Amino acid sequence: MKRELHIRVNGDEYHLLVETHRTLLEVIRDEIGLTGTKNGCGQGECGACTVLLDGEPVNSCLVLAHEAEGHDVLTIEGLGSGDTLHPVQRAFVETGAIQCGYCTPGMVLTAKALLDHNPTPTRAEILEGLKGNLCRCTGYVKIVEAVEAASCLLEGGEIE
Amino acid sequence: MKAFDYVRPSTLEEACAVLADPAGSAKALAGGTDVLVQMRAAGLRPSVVVSLKDVPGLNFIHADDDGGVTIGAVTPLGAVEHSAVIKERCPAVAQAAAWVGSVQVRNRATIGGNLCNAAPSADTAPILIALGAEAVITDGREERVVLLEEFFTGPGQTVLGRGELLRAVRVPPAPARSFATYLKTFRSAMDCCTVGVGLCATFEEGSAAIKDVRLALGAVAPTPMRARATEALLAGRELDETTIAAASAKAVEEAQPIDDIRASAAYREVLVEVMSRRVLTAACAWAQNGGRG
Amino acid sequence: MKTCIVRKGLPRIDAIPKVSGEAQYTVDLKMPGLLVGKILRSPHAHARIKSIDTSAAKALDGVLAVITAEDVPENLFAFYQWQADKHILCTDRVRYVGDEVAAVAAMDDDTAEAALDLIKVEYEALPVILDIDEAMKPGAQLIHEGKESNSTWSVDRLFGDPDKALAECDYVVEGTYVTHQLAHCCLEVSNCIAKWDKRDKLTIWTNAQAPHTQRQEVARVLGIPRRNVRIINSTMGGGFGSKLVMDMKLPIASVLSRLTGRPVRIVNTRSEEFTTAKTRYPYTLHLKTGATKDGKILVRDLTLIGDNGAYHDKGPATINFSSMMFGTLYNVPNIRFHGELVYTNKAMGTAFRGFGNPQVTFATESQIDELAEKMGMDPLELRRRNVNHPDETAACGAEVCGCAMSECMELAAKEIGWEEKRGKGAPLRGVGLANMVHTGGGGRFYGFNSAEAIIKLSDEGTVTLITSALDMGQGAHTAMAQIAAEELGVRLEDINVLSHDTELTPYDLGSWGSRATFMNGNAVLAAAEDARQSLVEAAAEMLEADPADILVEESKVWVKGSHEKHDLSEVVDHTVNEHGEPISGIGRFVDHLPEGYTIPTAFAKNIPCFSFGTQAVEVEVDPETGQVNVLRVVAAHETGTTINQTMAEGQLEGSMAQGIGFALMERLVHDDEGRIVNDRFLDYKIPNIGDVPEMKAYCVESVGTRGPFGAKGIGEPGLVPTAPAIANAIYDAIGVRLHEVPMTREQIIKALKEKRASET
Repeated sequence: MKRELHIRVNGDEYHLLVETHRTLLEVIRDEIGLTGTKNGCGQGECGACTVLLDGEPVNSCLVLAHEAEGHDVLTIEGLGSGDTLHPVQRAFVETGAIQCGYCTPGMVLTAKALLDHNPTPTRAEILEGLKGNLCRCTGYVKIVEAVEAASCLLEGGEIE
Repeated sequence: MKAFDYVRPSTLEEACAVLADPAGSAKALAGGTDVLVQMRAAGLRPSVVVSLKDVPGLNFIHADDDGGVTIGAVTPLGAVEHSAVIKERCPAVAQAAAWVGSVQVRNRATIGGNLCNAAPSADTAPILIALGAEAVITDGREERVVLLEEFFTGPGQTVLGRGELLRAVRVPPAPARSFATYLKTFRSAMDCCTVGVGLCATFEEGSAAIKDVRLALGAVAPTPMRARATEALLAGRELDETTIAAASAKAVEEAQPIDDIRASAAYREVLVEVMSRRVLTAACAWAQNGGRG
Repeated sequence: MKTCIVRKGLPRIDAIPKVSGEAQYTVDLKMPGLLVGKILRSPHAHARIKSIDTSAAKALDGVLAVITAEDVPENLFAFYQWQADKHILCTDRVRYVGDEVAAVAAMDDDTAEAALDLIKVEYEALPVILDIDEAMKPGAQLIHEGKESNSTWSVDRLFGDPDKALAECDYVVEGTYVTHQLAHCCLEVSNCIAKWDKRDKLTIWTNAQAPHTQRQEVARVLGIPRRNVRIINSTMGGGFGSKLVMDMKLPIASVLSRLTGRPVRIVNTRSEEFTTAKTRYPYTLHLKTGATKDGKILVRDLTLIGDNGAYHDKGPATINFSSMMFGTLYNVPNIRFHGELVYTNKAMGTAFRGFGNPQVTFATESQIDELAEKMGMDPLELRRRNVNHPDETAACGAEVCGCAMSECMELAAKEIGWEEKRGKGAPLRGVGLANMVHTGGGGRFYGFNSAEAIIKLSDEGTVTLITSALDMGQGAHTAMAQIAAEELGVRLEDINVLSHDTELTPYDLGSWGSRATFMNGNAVLAAAEDARQSLVEAAAEMLEADPADILVEESKVWVKGSHEKHDLSEVVDHTVNEHGEPISGIGRFVDHLPEGYTIPTAFAKNIPCFSFGTQAVEVEVDPETGQVNVLRVVAAHETGTTINQTMAEGQLEGSMAQGIGFALMERLVHDDEGRIVNDRFLDYKIPNIGDVPEMKAYCVESVGTRGPFGAKGIGEPGLVPTAPAIANAIYDAIGVRLHEVPMTREQIIKALKEKRASET
């Protein structure tokens, strides 16, 4: 069964006709064509599909597309402006927090939302905030450093 | 995921009417974090999914006049976790909510969903049961109220009849000199509980003697359960090392754990003993400290 | 060594595409006419296929092809053809839960899934064997009919005289150690698109760690010429060994494409990834170590049984590699090794970061501590008396050149606070340490070990580097670019790496055995030297100077002693547009077997360079729940020369996290029928950000290797010693010795209970 869906993704309005059993992840990747959002497990356990729904991180594999009707979605492609990286992205690049990169879009968006709420998180708050994003490559050491560096950048500082 | 009809009613009455339809296997959808997983992997095949997204009056946290709290069924666990009212009136509930999944999950998963999914390991259940919480159930026209400890009837099973919805959870006011906490063990920093223990103990004025106690266990029986024999053993007793040891041993007797991927029954029994002892010891310390931290 | 680009912790060249969502992984590719392929897998661990009825599936609207064994070439396949034992689709028998039985191609996902549901397969159940002991019993049900036994391969190695040595030892310890099946858990699952075109060319887009050898494998199993097969890689979401050997979905998608005339995509679900994407080989290890009273280890005797799973893959190579590392560590003079592979009705094993070494090192390095305990010696001191030394040839033949084992060990011990904490730390806290050796440059296991690279400069001085170094996430492309940039004297941002297509890149064995930096790096260095020579000659001609006086650095060219610096682009523009002589270079690094040896006789001489390292950990144990809290891990590993400090640390940190998973959390669990019950991240726990402790990685530089700028590979070593270091720390904390990984809470409780019982 198809149904009309009105959704705003990275500021763009989309009016789509979408089957009711499609997830937000499928619509973002397959209908809208933004493949920066990754499918890692399909069960809400790895966080690779994280997008910001009205500014809050959600696993887009566990959100029916029609449940996002009328809402705002931010994907990794919508972060930063033009050719300028968002400070969180810059911090991930400069601290070496990226290896295979498959978890990176979800990790970056979760970190951004964390810093939106809590601009200077403690290490414990970073760990708590990012535990829904699995990474098999980095051991997370540089991811924690990246979030700390991003916090510093957002507070007007520079990466050491 | 298999195809299904999807409706998004705008009133409770409408939602319950769809859920009551005897022809279909309708499923209510709140946050979706359990339902979608079951539909994708565990063979749940509803003919109609009833979205509660547009139903008003289900997403709220209300400070009740009597000092209790009422939480709308589709309130996200993230909101429960961060609610100032809940942190003040029943902080252990906020703690239990914070232990469910990840930030992403808690932004979607609702307190009603966590309860209606009726997993024996549901993190919010033991503490709510220990606090004497009630489930407010509606069929769209009338409401009925059941104690949460009577809400669960088996793994994935509740007292909700066809056409009924959980509308809210009501947490009664905490009695004077009461101590409540939730403790869980897990295999990693993000895990459903191997064993969860919820405790609410009320003490006599100026002593560590138990006036009233509720101890609820998660993941050790087909449903989250009250450890009534343990409670009976504790009733009226002064909490000390001997009593706590006896009570913890009794809790092990009462628990009916099974072997599963997360733990063996034998290991769960070890955990029931240790964790019952730890929550009771914390309660004892609190009482001896004159009801402080 | 003065360097401009090498040794710097520069950001990866692919960091910006990855952080902005622009990087394209195979799962992100779109293609006109793309069909969805899905595989019907066996629900039984062992059964005879009595019949398959595909008629209903074929009749379903939107289904374009349904195939069974009858529709695919009959060839048997294994990584080693002499062990070939697996059909593309099962003919008459299934041997593990997940075995490929049939496949469909359909217009969309839903239709493909519905078609799978409509295929009716009648099975007759056979006895299921999940346990190696069961499998090896005389008269056990044969998993492969026609074979003599389920024990399917074995190897023996003998150096010195172990029996004589054992008799001479003052102390001998003996024990059995057990490891289990683990999943690689790449965040990007195994997937491919196959397109068999009208010219009979087969192009496969997939995430392969070894595209050139997989191209041969696809051709071999399909019985088609290799020249007709092309493999194209995209950005890869992890490898860790799981994507070295061809997955059957490649030939299956290929056949579906040939039948439909359209490209066909097959993507694992996460559950399929857990159940069918192959595992780390579980080992059962019976180990004996003997030493003299002054702490010289004289002998080691190991019998190792590997659980092969249902089909052959990298088992013999893994066990052989295990034996080489076993023989090399501490240069023990008397070594006996027996290795054996046994079929079971489980998913097949394959390469997994460390390649058999973490399993063996768990046993050997745990047993060193047990030996030290028996001798009343500090385990660090016992290790000191047995360290490997630079430029020694081990009894097993291993030629150790650069070796910084002592430095690594002393550094790790100091950083963890060994002297203050060992045996005297806070209650329930303990420290432990373990050493390791691994290859730092792959091996000559194909009879050779080689790589080639091509460099061309544009007329503006930018550089295209064509290398076969496969970047599965570890950063090989960045390392290659740094090596090329350093040698050529250009900026890192001027290098563009092309490495994705078997039609473009030189033949290569792939990214495994920590070989890319060493092998591909040497080839890139040679290509850069070649191009630099032309560049210098062109500059000398343009600047009317002696080539020996030309300097190139950071894309500037000048004559020694002159202050006038020219842009590199001027020189290249001059030579291309004035003379029609573009600048390019080709480089090759071939590392042959030593003279007079064959692959088996060369044994540990197959390893071109060894990399040593030590990890030290501190743990805290809750003796009531059995919870182990790893507080800190310190890793000190040899890198030769560190090409990229940040990335090398990243390799070690990621490895340590996987090592913690191996030690404490990870195991695929089967029910009695052979179904994996934890086929999701909810119950197959890998470390999340809250599970990793403070980790500190030290890259210890050493001299004496033939790697580019003296570098060694660092991809695998970091997870090799983690588990025994943790086991040793647990012993220090609570006095119980665990011989099985993962060391779960339950095992610790059980061991403590046994300890208490034995003490009363």
